Amino acid sequence: MADKITVGYTHLSGCTGCTVALADNYAGLLTLLDKYVDLKYMPTLADARHIQQVDVSFVEGSVCINDKLAVEEIKETREKSAIVVALGGCACYGNITRFSRGGQQNQPAHEAYLPIGDLIKVDVYIPGCAPTPQMIRNVAVMAYLLLKGTKEQKDLATAFLTPLMKLAAAGTSACFCELMTNVINQGLCMGCGTCAAACPVNAITMEYGKPQGERDLCIKCGACYSQCPRSFFNTDVISQYEAINEAIMAALQ
Amino acid sequence: MSKVVEISPTTRHEGHSKLVLKVNDQGIIETGNWCSITPVRGVEKLAVGKTPEQVPKIASRVCGICPIAHCLAATEAMEASIKCEIPNDAKMLRHILQLANRCHSIALHDILILPDFYIPGTETKINPFTAEEPVRSVAKRIQRLREIGQTIGQIAGGDCIHPRNTRIGGMYRNVSEQAKTKMYDLAKEGLTLSHQQAEFMIAVIRNYHNRDFVDVGGMKVPMPKTLGYHNQGYLATHAFYGSTSMDECPSWDINRFKEARPYDWYMGEMEVTLEEPKYPIGGTTKMGTKVNPQMEACTGIPMYDGQPVEVGPRARLVRYKNFDMKGTKGQNIAREMEYQDCFYEMIDCIDALNTSGKVVADYIPNGDGSLGWASNEAPRGTDVHIARVNDWKVQYFSMLVPTTWNFATCSKALEGAPWQLAEVIMRGYDPCVSCATHMIVLDEENKMIAQKLIQ
Amino acid sequence: MGAELGNYKSCVSARSTDKELLKHAQDGGIVTSLFAFALEEGIIDGAIVAANKEFAAKYPSKCMMDNSNFDMIEPWRPIPAIVNTKAELIAAAGTKYNISPNVSLLKEATRSFGLDKIGIVGTPCQMQAVRKAQLYPIGMRDVGASIALAVGIFCMENFPYQSILQLVEDHAAMKLESVKKMEIGKGKFWVYGKRGQVVQLPLKITHKYEQPGCHVCLDYVANLADVSTGSVGSPDGWSTVMVRSKIGDSVWGKAMAAGCFETQPIEKVKPGLELVTKLANEKITKNKKTLEGRATFGVGKALRNPYI
Ligand SMILES: Cc1cc2nc3c(=O)[nH]c(=O)nc-3n(C[C@H](O)[C@H](O)[C@H](O)COP(=O)(O)OP(=O)(O)OC[C@H]3O[C@@H](n4cnc5c(N)ncnc54)[C@H](O)[C@@H]3O)c2cc1C
Ligand SMILES: Cc1cc2nc3c(=O)[nH]c(=O)nc-3n(C[C@H](O)[C@H](O)[C@H](O)COP(=O)(O)OP(=O)(O)OC[C@H]3O[C@@H](n4cnc5c(N)ncnc54)[C@H](O)[C@@H]3O)c2cc1C
Ligand code: SF4
Ligand code: SF4
Ligand code: SF4
Ligand code: SF4
Ligand SMILES: [Fe+2]
Repeated sequence: MADKITVGYTHLSGCTGCTVALADNYAGLLTLLDKYVDLKYMPTLADARHIQQVDVSFVEGSVCINDKLAVEEIKETREKSAIVVALGGCACYGNITRFSRGGQQNQPAHEAYLPIGDLIKVDVYIPGCAPTPQMIRNVAVMAYLLLKGTKEQKDLATAFLTPLMKLAAAGTSACFCELMTNVINQGLCMGCGTCAAACPVNAITMEYGKPQGERDLCIKCGACYSQCPRSFFNTDVISQYEAINEAIMAALQ
Repeated sequence: MSKVVEISPTTRHEGHSKLVLKVNDQGIIETGNWCSITPVRGVEKLAVGKTPEQVPKIASRVCGICPIAHCLAATEAMEASIKCEIPNDAKMLRHILQLANRCHSIALHDILILPDFYIPGTETKINPFTAEEPVRSVAKRIQRLREIGQTIGQIAGGDCIHPRNTRIGGMYRNVSEQAKTKMYDLAKEGLTLSHQQAEFMIAVIRNYHNRDFVDVGGMKVPMPKTLGYHNQGYLATHAFYGSTSMDECPSWDINRFKEARPYDWYMGEMEVTLEEPKYPIGGTTKMGTKVNPQMEACTGIPMYDGQPVEVGPRARLVRYKNFDMKGTKGQNIAREMEYQDCFYEMIDCIDALNTSGKVVADYIPNGDGSLGWASNEAPRGTDVHIARVNDWKVQYFSMLVPTTWNFATCSKALEGAPWQLAEVIMRGYDPCVSCATHMIVLDEENKMIAQKLIQ
Repeated sequence: MGAELGNYKSCVSARSTDKELLKHAQDGGIVTSLFAFALEEGIIDGAIVAANKEFAAKYPSKCMMDNSNFDMIEPWRPIPAIVNTKAELIAAAGTKYNISPNVSLLKEATRSFGLDKIGIVGTPCQMQAVRKAQLYPIGMRDVGASIALAVGIFCMENFPYQSILQLVEDHAAMKLESVKKMEIGKGKFWVYGKRGQVVQLPLKITHKYEQPGCHVCLDYVANLADVSTGSVGSPDGWSTVMVRSKIGDSVWGKAMAAGCFETQPIEKVKPGLELVTKLANEKITKNKKTLEGRATFGVGKALRNPYI
């Protein structure tokens, strides 16, 4: 047990799709729990009812600031976690809860939802809706290496997590517009088509080699921008893709 | 004298809910209120003014455990409103997607309820994550079944959590022959595994319910033979898929539907007078805490023919297959009995799929504001969505989701059970709580949604 | 420098032994032959390539279409497609000097196409996208482990479609539909007509037509591919091939053993790696300057640098 990192999972206004994505590591989830992760708190999958002191907290969902409990929970999560990971579009960027505007029974006053980064400091982002099992797995393994690894492993984990930390520092708003403002308008798009593949609602098509965003479809998950090789490209890490992939796969054997 | 105990939050299910229980001196529940405390994101309200293409994608994100049912019910409610018939092969892809979601969902539910049960023949409760046998093999089988379901869903639906391939008028793409073969192979494997899994689960469920006493946090709790019994009716709209207002003989009738606000249904303000620190894990709510289900509950109470009804696997089996086992035991067994059938149906649909058939309707009207509804049988029950689309804008949208139907029914089913088993009863409904906080009454005054809508 | 060619295990000059295939290929037919071999051996079960309108008319379900009116799709517009046979590979062979968003099919390949082992060809930036998708699969669920063979093609820059149109129809004064092949080599942009005519344009004309996103690109020889290939360094009709990863090494080894390619040591051919290195250096140096320029582009305002 001592070798494992302790992990919590706070569920706010999310749909549990992020939880399913975590569980979709299939047999790999069992290995993660066997070897690396001591799951201290996660009401959907385990019995613990109250937020615990942990090394890493994953947070799913945005915060309804009109709900006292939700606000308390996000603050308590921050206080009790060394590292807070915003998991999924809702926690990072609000995602569909950006569209909320209240007025629905039985709580018509539940109208204002904020990504967690607007209320607490967030260390790492995993955007996307749903986020992917493999991304969750990679971050979990890297968090383990960061906290329990050798010097070399710590350096690798730091380098790996840096762009995700920068995303967290960069802000709480994302949608197709980020591709326009930060990639295309900046003269950086080279038409690879990654964004179109990444979009979970087919909001992006490639027209004459460049992305067209159907903004009436975009749900503001942030996947396209963060997956785009021209949003961040940390050559030092990505050029070691073979070794890192092998190490992660070996860790999950 | 009755006492009040509160279990909050409840665990091992989707979303945030709690149980407020009025119990007698023997700890038997006299009145139980199970209510959602998940914030209301207001999807039905935010849908208004958006396009019918976007709303189903948002509806999917109401719940990540039954996203497929929401996505399909919403899409088909829009199609019913605009009166768009979709090609048969698109229907087949939707059926496959829906069944694939069910096989992952049943497996997930197995993980969530297993800790309540014992390894048969022992006094050891099951920790699904232990590396020890025989549990590890079961856990691996569960994860493989989920993988099979999710992978098939991903092929037919573009993505398996929130599907990408669905669209108004059909599907974006048909699948290749190669993909069809892959789905076939996976479904065949799943059929065998689901058979083994269902047998294992049914044995474990029987073992548990046949015990005289079960352990809850070190407390020896008597197991009533009637655990989870209720006298409410059942509602199901199809043996596995659903129905829409465009069907020749729709299997759901909007005129028989009504909704009450929780204010009329749940208990008012009370104080917690019973506290049990041994209750796993972390104990029940502190003595003296004020609770008020009436005000805190986030869902309405839907009724069919004037009463709450049960929806879900047992309702489907009762309605379509003459199943007759009551209570929590019957409910959990019914779910397992759906497992293999889910693969048989899926194999039929894959057989029927023509990979070179078209999957998008030739003509997709913009809508004239007509009312359309579609039901979809989610793993945990009937999910009905109602929509009005006018000139390619959503004018009205409502979701009557399975767990909302079940909240009031389950509250009834709690009566007569030892309070320590309340969560076991609740889990029998395979609840999905964030889903459940998404319905509205059109007319707050008379609480009648139906009459208003069909005018 | 020294890192301009990336890591590689081996480098040769090579040409497909399939004479029929070579008629359709751009250079040594490396991409098409290697995929054909990998398909036959079950190393991949489909490949993402840049097809065209004729292919799309025949196999609409294999393509990633944009919203253009089909009848109005112009000649030489690449259409990303998934192919499963040698005949389909050959139909998509040859270089299209404008953007083909091949990565847009990467996820769909594992979905409606049902692929378990994907082959993908692309420019160096597309190889970067593929590796980022594997290491940071933010929106690429269940894709990474399915990538079985990524073939990179050398690339100095690419062009928007309109640029190619203007280069060919204005500068070279030919109709696009009558063009058989385009090529950049020996310092020139070459346009070969179906009737046998050849027009060459000096590269300095092409510069204004380049895609701006290419000017921050720091990879010439697809450092992150399993196998990368291009014409530069090898004699006409031959290709320079760099085998980079374990996967690449294994597939290339098998293809060689099966007699798919004839090779010459890269040290023995003219102009050889020296020219590749020179061009790689030129590209990287030029584009690093662009990046530096971007850092001080405005008044106290920088343009974004994707690498930091
Ligand atoms: C903007 C740009 C885009 C390009 N795009 C492509 C492309 O799409 N496809 C592609 O294949 N190449 C491309 N190239 C590379 C192009 O092929 C090289 O420019 C060419 O191969 C080198 O010829 P050069 O006349 O420019 O040589 P220089 O740079 O002028 O000279 C290089 C040296 O190599 C020698 N040399 C050059 N070619 C040969 C040869 N074939 N045999 C023997 N010796 C030789 C020359 O004599 C000289 O000494 C591109 C280059 C540029 C600048
Ligand atoms: C924009 C561009 C610039 C290039 N610049 C250079 C260069 O500077 N120096 C150099 O040596 N080589 C360059 N090449 C590569 C060269 O032109 C040949 O593609 C390469 O040598 C492969 O030849 P082959 O005979 O092995 O391939 P073939 O067997 O002919 O197969 C080529 C494959 O590439 C695919 N393809 C065609 N166009 C594109 C595209 N636009 N995007 C993605 N995939 C495509 C085809 O579908 C086919 O599968 C460039 C290629 C492109 C597309
Ligand atoms: S990010 Fe997507 S999957 Fe996660 S909670 Fe939000 S809607 Fe659900
Ligand atoms: S365009 Fe698609 S991927 Fe990008 S933020 Fe919107 S929904 Fe997400
Ligand atoms: S992923 Fe980025 S670089 Fe690639 S096409 Fe999209 S915006 Fe352009
Ligand atoms: S120059 Fe770079 S960015 Fe441009 S197409 Fe080639 S590899 Fe991509
Ligand atoms: Fe749900």
